[in-house]
Amino acid sequence: MTNKHVNAIIVGAGASGGVVAKELATSGMSVMLFERGEWPNYDEHPNDELISQRTEVLGSPFGPDPLKNPRVLISKSGERQIVTPISGGYNNNAACVGSGTVSYGAMAWRLMEEDFKLRTVYGHVDGSTLEDWPITYEDLEPCYEKAEWEIGVSGDDTQNPFAPPRNKKQPMPPFEYNHEAKVLCEASKRLGLHPFPIPMLRNSIPYNDRAGCIRNRTCVGFACPVDAKNGTQNTVIPIAIATGNCVLKTGSKVVEIMTNDHGKATGVRYFDQNDKPQIQTADLVVITGAAVETARLLLNSKSKLFPNGLGNNNDWVGRNLMGHAYTAACGLFDYDILDFSGPGATVAWCDFNHHNPGIIGGGLLTNDFNRLPYLYTGMRPPGSAMWGKEHKEFQRSMYHRTARIMGPVQEMPNFEARVTVDSKIKDFWGVPVAALSGEVHPLDYEHCKFLTNKAEEILKEAGAYQTWQNVGGKGGPSGYQHQNGTARMGNDKKTSVVNRYGQVHEIDNLFIADGSIMVNGGGFNPALTIMALGYWVGGYIAKTFATTKFK
Amino acid sequence: MTSQNRREFIKSAGLVFGSIILFPSCLKNKNNYRFFTSEEALCIIAICEQIIPKDGSPGATDAGVIYYIDNQLSGVFYYDQEIYRNGILYLQKYCEKTYQKPFQQLIPEKQTQLLKILESNQLTETDWPRGKPADFFNRIVGHTMQGFYGSPIHGGNKDYMSFTMLRIDYPLVIGQNRYVSNI
Repeated sequence: MTNKHVNAIIVGAGASGGVVAKELATSGMSVMLFERGEWPNYDEHPNDELISQRTEVLGSPFGPDPLKNPRVLISKSGERQIVTPISGGYNNNAACVGSGTVSYGAMAWRLMEEDFKLRTVYGHVDGSTLEDWPITYEDLEPCYEKAEWEIGVSGDDTQNPFAPPRNKKQPMPPFEYNHEAKVLCEASKRLGLHPFPIPMLRNSIPYNDRAGCIRNRTCVGFACPVDAKNGTQNTVIPIAIATGNCVLKTGSKVVEIMTNDHGKATGVRYFDQNDKPQIQTADLVVITGAAVETARLLLNSKSKLFPNGLGNNNDWVGRNLMGHAYTAACGLFDYDILDFSGPGATVAWCDFNHHNPGIIGGGLLTNDFNRLPYLYTGMRPPGSAMWGKEHKEFQRSMYHRTARIMGPVQEMPNFEARVTVDSKIKDFWGVPVAALSGEVHPLDYEHCKFLTNKAEEILKEAGAYQTWQNVGGKGGPSGYQHQNGTARMGNDKKTSVVNRYGQVHEIDNLFIADGSIMVNGGGFNPALTIMALGYWVGGYIAKTFATTKFK
Repeated sequence: MTSQNRREFIKSAGLVFGSIILFPSCLKNKNNYRFFTSEEALCIIAICEQIIPKDGSPGATDAGVIYYIDNQLSGVFYYDQEIYRNGILYLQKYCEKTYQKPFQQLIPEKQTQLLKILESNQLTETDWPRGKPADFFNRIVGHTMQGFYGSPIHGGNKDYMSFTMLRIDYPLVIGQNRYVSNI
């Protein structure tokens, strides 16, 4: 049986794919939205720390299947190691409808104006491919606004003096601080800093016919039992499907983008829910598989015209793999500073995003998400016992008394940090897997150190009787859930993969709309930016298709 | 057959089946474990109790951490089976050679001392022919923490006892949006 030809195929129903599906389907285009995972179900993995998206010890609750989806990790010395979604170094992103937006912490950050023009602001950086984006903050601002209102954000940017300009306020009021945040907020004000409530893709009040947040202790890493966390799975994807123009195919693994002799994309090859090979044709294809899988799909789609994979004539696909160099300081208090109302992170500081001498980019700081008991067993001052009586005593007496301030530090893009495919190692469907390699840039550690010192100062001012640092920014490969950068957007075809609209330079009916096209990750959690890019690329496609059909 | 006879017959048949069929199968598999032998389990239980000892509140043994490890070794952690099996063997050989006793019969102070030796890889290759002692020990540390502080549905953390110790409510009552208090 042949599948009916459609206008557009979208590969991956995550933060961006769901948005693109909604933009295209509401414009009247026929859409096939592919997702390798299934609809997420709260009841199948409730409140179990060992099977949560944050602590994948016994399983990855939102996919992919640990036994069917290996990757290869290449060490600095060139050793190749096979890793799975529940072993270290895999850099797993959820594989389900909504992807990471089902279980994320849901911070709703806009990048700042400077983040779009790092090269202009900071100049050349040795050993880095630091560059300006081909679009500006002003270009993306309306898309941020759409993401905030259609998907749903609680926040109040007027409390953040460093916030970029906006046309419309966030739709819901911000969340109140929890106990830890109140203490840290007051202390940081005494240091001259500017604390404010973290904007969240989570309902502070009922919104979009769904409930307000119940401050569940187990929030980040889990689906929400009352559906108060806003992802694409409970907002734009249902809207896309309701138009009647969009079919969502779950359990379907797209393994190749097909192209013809004229250099046009013609459709995709995929394995359906029963693992049978299938073909779907379309007028155009949009890839939204996140930085690792998007690069793998491009590299695995070889043809006579594109022997090195699609968009890869200049060897830029898979390059500049980035994530965030997370860094933190911890402090011990002599009273219960935590109240464990979920998700825990409520206060932020943007004082260290840009405009700090000697620091390129920097990053934001926030108080930490609630740490569940097993995660906390690894959290100890340097030199502490990691087992035995002393370890247990610390766990018992300090579980409510340990505060942490942390932040995602902007990584310097690095040409050698990359995704390749390993032709020898195949997944369950016989397709070469992604191989990750490369180290982070040496400056990342310096930037992390700077931020960690600031975090530690706040903890000390707040009355912590002992503090210590967990400085990030070393080793590699980078990536993880904030993975980005592997199909950079740019005006110069020689040093980028897609143009300013996410259109692959060499193939004008092939688009990429996820974090892969980001030129750098910004010093912020990227979900809202990836959603905004979905509106940006999706909006362009819908508008252009109405006239040219990309023929 | 009279009713009396029938009762006698059932009784004796039960005895016969009980002794011939059921009893030998119990002999073959007389422990409650999927992966460990009873002897191996005694060793691991002793190590786990060292990692999370009973004090004012329950320790690893009380929480049934051994069942967590045993369950996972026959499932998700199948690739760790060899490390466990070999590690227990080497450790017990070393204990027999040095103290003429298995690990679980050493006094707690001696056990602690020996685990620190494992942790810092201080055994020779003769005593530990394959892999490193620290790999064996650190795995057990990780698994013990998971079994003690994780969810009871995987074995371990019996009756949420570690959550009581940590003063946190559990579990969440779905639909009512509150936790059951166990503090």
